[in-house]
Amino acid sequence: MVELREQERKTLLAIQKLGGNTSVKQVINETGLSDAAIMRAALVLQEKKLVQMQEERQTAIELNAEGKIHAKKGLPERRTLNAVKQLGGKASVERIIAKADLEKDFIPIALGWIQRKKWAAFDSKTNTLRTLEKTERENDEKLLELLGNKGKITVEDLSKEFKEAVQVLKKRKLLNVEEKTNRIFEITDAGRAALKKEKKAVEEVTQLTPELIITGKWRKVKFQKYNIEAPVAKTWSGKKHPYLQFLDEVKTKLVALGFKEMTGTFVETSFFNFDALYTPQGHPAREPTSAYYVKSPKYGSVNTYKHALTNVKKTHENGWKTGSSGWGYEYSTREAGRLILRSHTTCLSARTLLSRNLEIPGMYFSIGQCYRPEVLDKTHLTEFNQVEGIVVDKDLTLRDLLGVLEKFAIDIAGADRAKFVPDYFPFTEPSVELRAYKKGYGWIEFGGSGIFRPEVTLPLGIEVPVLAWGLGIDRLFMLKARIDDIRQIFSLNLDWLRRQEVI
Amino acid sequence: MPTIDIDYPEFEKLLRMKFDRDIEKVNEILEFVKGEVKLFDEKADVMSIEIKDTNRPDIWNVEGLSRALRGFLGLETSPREYKVGKPLVEVFVDERLGNIRPYIGCAVIKDVKLTDAIIRGFMHMQDKLDQSYGRNRQRTSIGLYDYGLIKSPLSYSVTKPTAISFVPLGFDKKMSLKAILKKHPKGLEYGHIVNKHSVYPILLDAEKKVLSFPPIINSNDLGRITDQTRNILVEVTGTMHETVLNTVKIVTLSLIDRGGEAHSAIVRYPREKQMVMTPDFEAKSMDLNVAYASKVLGLDLTAEQIAKLLPKAGFSVEKTSEDKVTVKIPCYRVDVMHQVDLIEDIAIAYGYDKIKPLWRRKPTTGGVRPEQGLLDVARELMVGLGFQEILTYTLTNPKNLFARMNCKKERVVELANPKVQTLTCLRNWLLPSLMEFLSNNSSVEYPQKIFELGKVTILDEKQETRTRDEHWLAAIICHASANFSEIKSALDALFMNLGIEWKIKEAKHPSFLEGRTAAIYVKGKRLGIIGEMHPEVLNNFKLENLAVAFEMNLDSLPK
Repeated sequence: MVELREQERKTLLAIQKLGGNTSVKQVINETGLSDAAIMRAALVLQEKKLVQMQEERQTAIELNAEGKIHAKKGLPERRTLNAVKQLGGKASVERIIAKADLEKDFIPIALGWIQRKKWAAFDSKTNTLRTLEKTERENDEKLLELLGNKGKITVEDLSKEFKEAVQVLKKRKLLNVEEKTNRIFEITDAGRAALKKEKKAVEEVTQLTPELIITGKWRKVKFQKYNIEAPVAKTWSGKKHPYLQFLDEVKTKLVALGFKEMTGTFVETSFFNFDALYTPQGHPAREPTSAYYVKSPKYGSVNTYKHALTNVKKTHENGWKTGSSGWGYEYSTREAGRLILRSHTTCLSARTLLSRNLEIPGMYFSIGQCYRPEVLDKTHLTEFNQVEGIVVDKDLTLRDLLGVLEKFAIDIAGADRAKFVPDYFPFTEPSVELRAYKKGYGWIEFGGSGIFRPEVTLPLGIEVPVLAWGLGIDRLFMLKARIDDIRQIFSLNLDWLRRQEVI
Repeated sequence: MPTIDIDYPEFEKLLRMKFDRDIEKVNEILEFVKGEVKLFDEKADVMSIEIKDTNRPDIWNVEGLSRALRGFLGLETSPREYKVGKPLVEVFVDERLGNIRPYIGCAVIKDVKLTDAIIRGFMHMQDKLDQSYGRNRQRTSIGLYDYGLIKSPLSYSVTKPTAISFVPLGFDKKMSLKAILKKHPKGLEYGHIVNKHSVYPILLDAEKKVLSFPPIINSNDLGRITDQTRNILVEVTGTMHETVLNTVKIVTLSLIDRGGEAHSAIVRYPREKQMVMTPDFEAKSMDLNVAYASKVLGLDLTAEQIAKLLPKAGFSVEKTSEDKVTVKIPCYRVDVMHQVDLIEDIAIAYGYDKIKPLWRRKPTTGGVRPEQGLLDVARELMVGLGFQEILTYTLTNPKNLFARMNCKKERVVELANPKVQTLTCLRNWLLPSLMEFLSNNSSVEYPQKIFELGKVTILDEKQETRTRDEHWLAAIICHASANFSEIKSALDALFMNLGIEWKIKEAKHPSFLEGRTAAIYVKGKRLGIIGEMHPEVLNNFKLENLAVAFEMNLDSLPK
């Protein structure tokens, strides 16, 4: 037996009821189903050879914007003719146009057509128009009126005269023409036979309803099969930002390793960002091309740190009692207060070392924004995040530093191996660059680190070694998220965010 | 970080080694001196090498780089000793240079054999030293001259801007100093260093011939070096004596490496009849504590082991005892300030790859800042309510913060030296960033629901950085029929889940529609604002859909 779905059955029934030969429109009226639903059903019915489909071309016309104006006000030549009549059958063109209140664009049309239709004669010497005898409405005007009233008309339904008028209006560019294919359904013998059998079949339902459940009717009906492969509308779930989520994961891992978080403000004094980190006051890293300076207020306060400030000053000038020669220049205490946007988060480590709450042994980390006056490109941001920190304890050595780095490479970067290369920072010595090897990625630079110089720790009152490290976390994220442009991290592209996998 | 261009054949020639232009091989040895090939121009056969160490101007040229590598590569067992011969030039320094550019140093190098490649190298070195070590000629600047054309004694003096004229390098007409500052490209570039003074520095020889107008430009007659030049006068002027002396040394050493023979100069300063001989190649001595070195590195090193490693890194050893190694530090190693600088070089010579990492778990407890818990929960809840988290820059501009939001301008942290016009200040609220985000996504499927939990920066005189950063939360719902109750419902859900009772009071805010705007209160404290975005604001951000939003301070929530 041929199995019919609800909509197919309804459609087939309607075609039979409408005499076995009918159009889509009529089936719509009969069944109340949508055009698309009927077409879907009809295609299936045709496949099952229960219905035959024939196509019939139809041309629908309606007035365009200009056409609508003419339908309302009359064709320009008609308006002109009326004006000439009102002015006594003859008048100058200027007066006629004024009387007819013709739109500027329509003037040449009106003058052209009024002569073509032989409603009036034009005298070029006097620049006047004079009415002639024949002034009755032609088919084009009648059709215009019809279209104005009815809106859309099928050309095939019109009389021969009107069909000619359609061509006129089409030439005058007053119509929107739409070619359509109309489908005619015809039920086949097999279709009739199928319906006979169907009568005995049970009712089929699309949607299970509360009513069906409450009444128990669900037991008697048949549930229509869904096309479970049909595409559905997209649902965009709420999500965390992939980069921030990645930073959260890094944070969790660092906390698990025993690191405590350090925080501070984006605006920082030069003292903590540079001076306390043994970066001399003339250093290129302090040039306006390398650090953002605050316009106003220019200076913050370093008064709370008088003792450390004095030590730092002496260390820069002559090494103080750190065993160093110092930088050998005159240190400016005023410059120490100069406000900048922190150019790295190492300033937080300096603050932590100076803090009364510092614990020894202690492990600290920070994740935060830093700022440098870079021109944005594929590898540079002017505002970016750093993940870094310190380990403070007696007897720490370079081997401990490498141990911490190796731990990061494996625990945080998920690397297979780590490698160490000499590096440089003004505030650490020795300094080490961490490279991590991950299968499929190769070697990546994953961090810079070192042991704080005595010129950094001693002026801050720290007598034990301090290991300092920073991780190239952006690079790792880019590999993970498969992006090759760092600007994507701050992407303003919602679609990209919506489609990011939660990894 | 300086990036230096080196002529590849010269590099191989100076090292007497072949690397077959294999960048990986070159990089491997450059690790010793913290360098890395950034670019290899195969046509010109020039490698651009980035040197991470900003404190080693002695290796910012191909001669110095090769010098530093020789020990590591085992090409020499102790560093070359450099000598300087008897003075050939005397320089008298004018007192009036005191607050303009008081210091000068000179040297004469005889019998140098120059080629075009070598001259290009010198020009490049001169440029690098002027830019980085000399801070764009502010601190020091270098001049090279044909010594054969110059008569000692020289006079380093001052002159009025129009009193003296000479033909500057690259020109064929005499120009006054004033004209040079106005017309010569170098005058335009560096004029700001001297033009605040009423008189300018000038360097003349015994016959009053102009050598140069420091730090702007050399004379075209005396200050032009060609492959025919055999004897060279080096001159460095500047504002820091130490830097001037170091620069003279570094330039002179490179010329000696090219087969030259150096002679010193006597510089006579006016005050206290002070006299300085330049260059001075005297090495410094430093005692290295063996136990300290072992302690820093975590290696059990003996004095003998250390004494063997040091020459690889370019140091010679004067004396070794059980607990102490006395190290001779070559005059050009200006980076050595402390024993740790030697200790790092010992580690590099030992090989970082041979040092075994050691992980010792510390008895510390990890933790995040106390307010983190609330922030994390708030983000989770916003996500649960169907909002997409976004991340935007904290840097923005006043137009975005205020004008486009229909607000009056407020005081915010503005940058003295913004790099681009769109990023000139720190934000003091979040919604403008969110609006900008929406503005960028007007063709993406609606409804759009976004939020950001981020920091805003508020000016605060009481703080030592004159600012405080606060965590704020902002959210927007944007679609064709967004309305007040929709966003209020979301905010209500947030507060309910946080277990916080909140109140809403009608308020006015220029970014929002009047009568559809309210202030958010918790325990009598005003935390933020909620409402329907004003059509003016929607227009400013070219949004055709409606937007409803809230923004509030999370740090002010009662704990």
